[in-house]
Amino acid sequence: MVTTHAVTKPVRAIGGFFAMSLDALVLMFKPPFAWREYLLQSWFVARVSMVPALMMTLPYSVILTFIFNILLTEIGAGDFSGTGAAIGTVNQIAPIVTVLVVSGAGSTAMCADLGARTIREELDAMRVLGINPIQRLVVPRVLAATTVALALESAVTVVGLTGAFFFTVYAQHVSAGAFVTGLTTLTGLADVIVSLVKAMLFGMAAGLIACYMGISVGGGPAGVGNAVNETVVFTFMVLFAINVIVTAVGIQFTVS
Amino acid sequence: MTDTVSSALPSRLHPRLQRTLNSVMSEWNRVGSQARFYVATLGAIPDAVVNYRTELLRLIAQMGLGAAALAMVGGTVVIVGFLTMTTGALVAVQGYNQLASVGIEALTGFASAYFNIRLIVPGTASVALSATIGAGATAQIGAMRINEEIDALEVIGIRSVSYLASTRVVAGVVVVIPLYCVAIIMAFLASRAGTTAIYGQSSGVYDHYFNTFLSPRDLIWSFFQVVAITIVVMLVHTYYGYTAHGGPAGVGEAVGRAVRTSMVVAAVEIVMITLAVYGQSGNFHLAG
Repeated sequence: MVTTHAVTKPVRAIGGFFAMSLDALVLMFKPPFAWREYLLQSWFVARVSMVPALMMTLPYSVILTFIFNILLTEIGAGDFSGTGAAIGTVNQIAPIVTVLVVSGAGSTAMCADLGARTIREELDAMRVLGINPIQRLVVPRVLAATTVALALESAVTVVGLTGAFFFTVYAQHVSAGAFVTGLTTLTGLADVIVSLVKAMLFGMAAGLIACYMGISVGGGPAGVGNAVNETVVFTFMVLFAINVIVTAVGIQFTVS
Repeated sequence: MTDTVSSALPSRLHPRLQRTLNSVMSEWNRVGSQARFYVATLGAIPDAVVNYRTELLRLIAQMGLGAAALAMVGGTVVIVGFLTMTTGALVAVQGYNQLASVGIEALTGFASAYFNIRLIVPGTASVALSATIGAGATAQIGAMRINEEIDALEVIGIRSVSYLASTRVVAGVVVVIPLYCVAIIMAFLASRAGTTAIYGQSSGVYDHYFNTFLSPRDLIWSFFQVVAITIVVMLVHTYYGYTAHGGPAGVGEAVGRAVRTSMVVAAVEIVMITLAVYGQSGNFHLAG
């Protein structure tokens, strides 16, 4: 009995996750929509993610530009450093930093908050009052994570490119005009759209995973800690997988 | 730790200014107490290795395999391997197509050898470590703090910093070396499989450019880089676990805050080490 339980537990967890995701997707379009919770959560996720996002973008875009410029200088194409910065920042650094921050900052905070409510049996109390916790708590959180990921991606792209610009122009002495002209050589609107689509999917997946881990917490403080830990790991794994797939699909449209 | 003004004092001049100054001061003090914790942890490493060897071995085993649900998906090794595999595949997807758009897709092997070692694998490995063994350490130590187990340790005469924090830093460094080997191999294999099997480049072309530009010296340096990152990540994570407060939710918040901080710190560290080690030179001669 114990062994069958241990074997079926991961399967049950996956099933429970999909059931909750379906519920959330259906309830998303059913009134009443929890506007206040949505706004509060958006503000909350934005508040915990903004500073880490900017602090991570700058180092990564600077180092990417630096490494790329070594290569470009080697083949005598230093003027194209803007092209490298644009490819790297728009296509990879911005979505990946958004992944890391949305899952590392946003979803951990969300999971900790929901987990604490589950431990205090607030969710059961809501059910007793006839309020569906999925509709009242999960839907606004998932939508908030999606919105904030989208906004974050845009901010991260702009900050990353600005950081790369200052680093290249002032530290590596590439002419500013050449950098700016190079930005759009290989990167266009399609890349930006693919990158925004990625961010949206990341936000949604991270929100769903965080909410599921949060509402299925058990076992006191250690349980909440483990749930948050598992949230980080699972969101990283899912989001990195999504990133590869969307990149592979999107590149068919962007690179001609 | 927090410096509150005694309530017996009469109200002072400029209360708003006072409040701002106090919050700045407490932030400053927090940096100080954090630094003191790090020094104490690093200083207690010999003590931990000599006196708490059993705990150290237990932690090494546990970190390699992961705890609870994480062990079920294959533990830290599989998670780190999976994450670096996806980023390695990214080199194939993005690198091959982007290079093909300027007609030099033959150089994808070079891109794999160059970008993987210098940026992609250290970056991915550092976030993977912070998510798995780092966050796990925060969750464990934080739960112990909330359950007052750390106070109990002190009462029975066990030095909690060396028993909990120093052992985890050492265990992290021991575990990271084989983990990083797995990470690098997965990234290289994924890049190669993506380029040759999916995009159909001949494997001879790929291997030629890969072997020509794979620099063993860079590889060794990236190992040092990851070990240094692990030390800092484990220090940050043990600190946030050790100072967790505020019930069950507090543990969750501590894990979140630790992940945020260590990711930012790891990013800054990668930049510092890369600039210091590689400098302006590429250590290769592409143009001949």
